[in-house]
Amino acid sequence: MSFNKENMDERMKFIDIWSKYVLEHDDRVWSRQQNVIINSCLRSFSMKKEDYLKLKGDRK
Amino acid sequence: MNFISKNRIELSKTVTSLDRFAIDFTKVLKKYTNYVIISGYVSILLGRQRTTEQVHIIVPKMQLTHFRALLLELRENEFYCLDAEYDEGIYEQLLEGKTVRFAAEDTVAPFVDLKFAKTELESAAMDKPITVRIGKDELTISHLEMQIAFKEKLGSEKDLEDAEHIRNIAKGNLDAALIKKYKKMI
Repeated sequence: MSFNKENMDERMKFIDIWSKYVLEHDDRVWSRQQNVIINSCLRSFSMKKEDYLKLKGDRK
Repeated sequence: MNFISKNRIELSKTVTSLDRFAIDFTKVLKKYTNYVIISGYVSILLGRQRTTEQVHIIVPKMQLTHFRALLLELRENEFYCLDAEYDEGIYEQLLEGKTVRFAAEDTVAPFVDLKFAKTELESAAMDKPITVRIGKDELTISHLEMQIAFKEKLGSEKDLEDAEHIRNIAKGNLDAALIKKYKKMI
């Protein structure tokens, strides 16, 4: 089996395990874990509007 | 998670900051137009364990005066357009079939990727919308068969995983023939 296929199979296996967990648990339980990932990722995105507009240049 | 009917899902999840952003934006948007959320955020809303910084939204084409009123209220609610400053500039981009991005003031992400429905597929995405109720809030997503068809056709690892997650979550609530039909359209 190629690395890519093996990798994809493993990733899909995780998807199946996690979606089963979502279905078998209260929404508040799985979403607490989802909050950890999403909120920390978005918090670490530190670019501010000013910096972005400076980078982008003039808008119409 | 409860699939109440073909077009209604109820969630009692703790909203993430991404969910809150989508809810706050669409609370303004829906006063002016119908909309549907498509793409990656849909699978995340339904429990997929990953993040994204963008929420893709399709709306029907709007007249400029009506669109201006929407922009005014978005600004009053501290959203701004990353791609253009003036109303006409934003509207022009949408008419050209481009997406325009909106973020909360002082931030760049997360952002909404807003687009006027232009293609047959985009218009089809607006048919049969699903209301997702989260406590007192609601979001409208396009139907899951369209999401799956699109993601499986795109075919990247992430997209296939998103499709697999939706298939698993919505098992028993999907129309396989509809998925096939949409795949032919794409």
